[in-house]
Amino acid sequence: MKKCRVRNNVRKLRFERNEMTQQQLAESIGMTRQTIVAIEKEKYSPSLEAAFRIARVLDKPLESVFSYDQD
Amino acid sequence: MDFSYQEKSAWGLLLGLVVVSLVYFPAAFAAADVGGEITKLVQLIVGGVIALVVIEVIYHVAIAAGSPQDADRSDERDELINLKAERNSGFVLGFGLFWLVGFIVAQSALQAYPVPEPLAIAVYILLIIAVSEIAKLANQIWYYRTGA
Repeated sequence: MKKCRVRNNVRKLRFERNEMTQQQLAESIGMTRQTIVAIEKEKYSPSLEAAFRIARVLDKPLESVFSYDQD
Repeated sequence: MDFSYQEKSAWGLLLGLVVVSLVYFPAAFAAADVGGEITKLVQLIVGGVIALVVIEVIYHVAIAAGSPQDADRSDERDELINLKAERNSGFVLGFGLFWLVGFIVAQSALQAYPVPEPLAIAVYILLIIAVSEIAKLANQIWYYRTGA
């Protein structure tokens, strides 16, 4: 399976945000639940705009949600 | 396994197209043989299109009924996967058409085998289009399963 170099803490931060479900997060940012699943499994890197929307919903700075693997 | 509506749609289109193609193309090539009957070919095309449309409408109504909130929703990941799959199917289409041109030219130059009948050439073109569409759908499913 292909892994992205863009890493994220979406799943952990989602749970910390009143145990928000994947469906709730998806609806908040206008994406499908399966795309949220792919993002959390790091099988898909969201666009910059989508990343900002996710960070805003989770009420965290972008760098706290997403990081870039430089190996 | 967790499938989005778009991925379920791709699976249905792929299976429907493969099944209809497996029935249509052997019959079409037989009809397009020497002394080919254009009437029969037209009947096969119309029948194939109707069969494919009916199969796909029934299938898509069924999957939409299963999860109405997701029906026909697509986001940036769906669009990216679709674009990549379209690009790759373009390569298949181009390769197939160049193969056909080379095949006809070689047959004509070598004169070892007869040049295909015009009706058979038309069926070959449809086959290449079908193969490129099957490649696009298979590619979409691959990207959904392994990551875009």
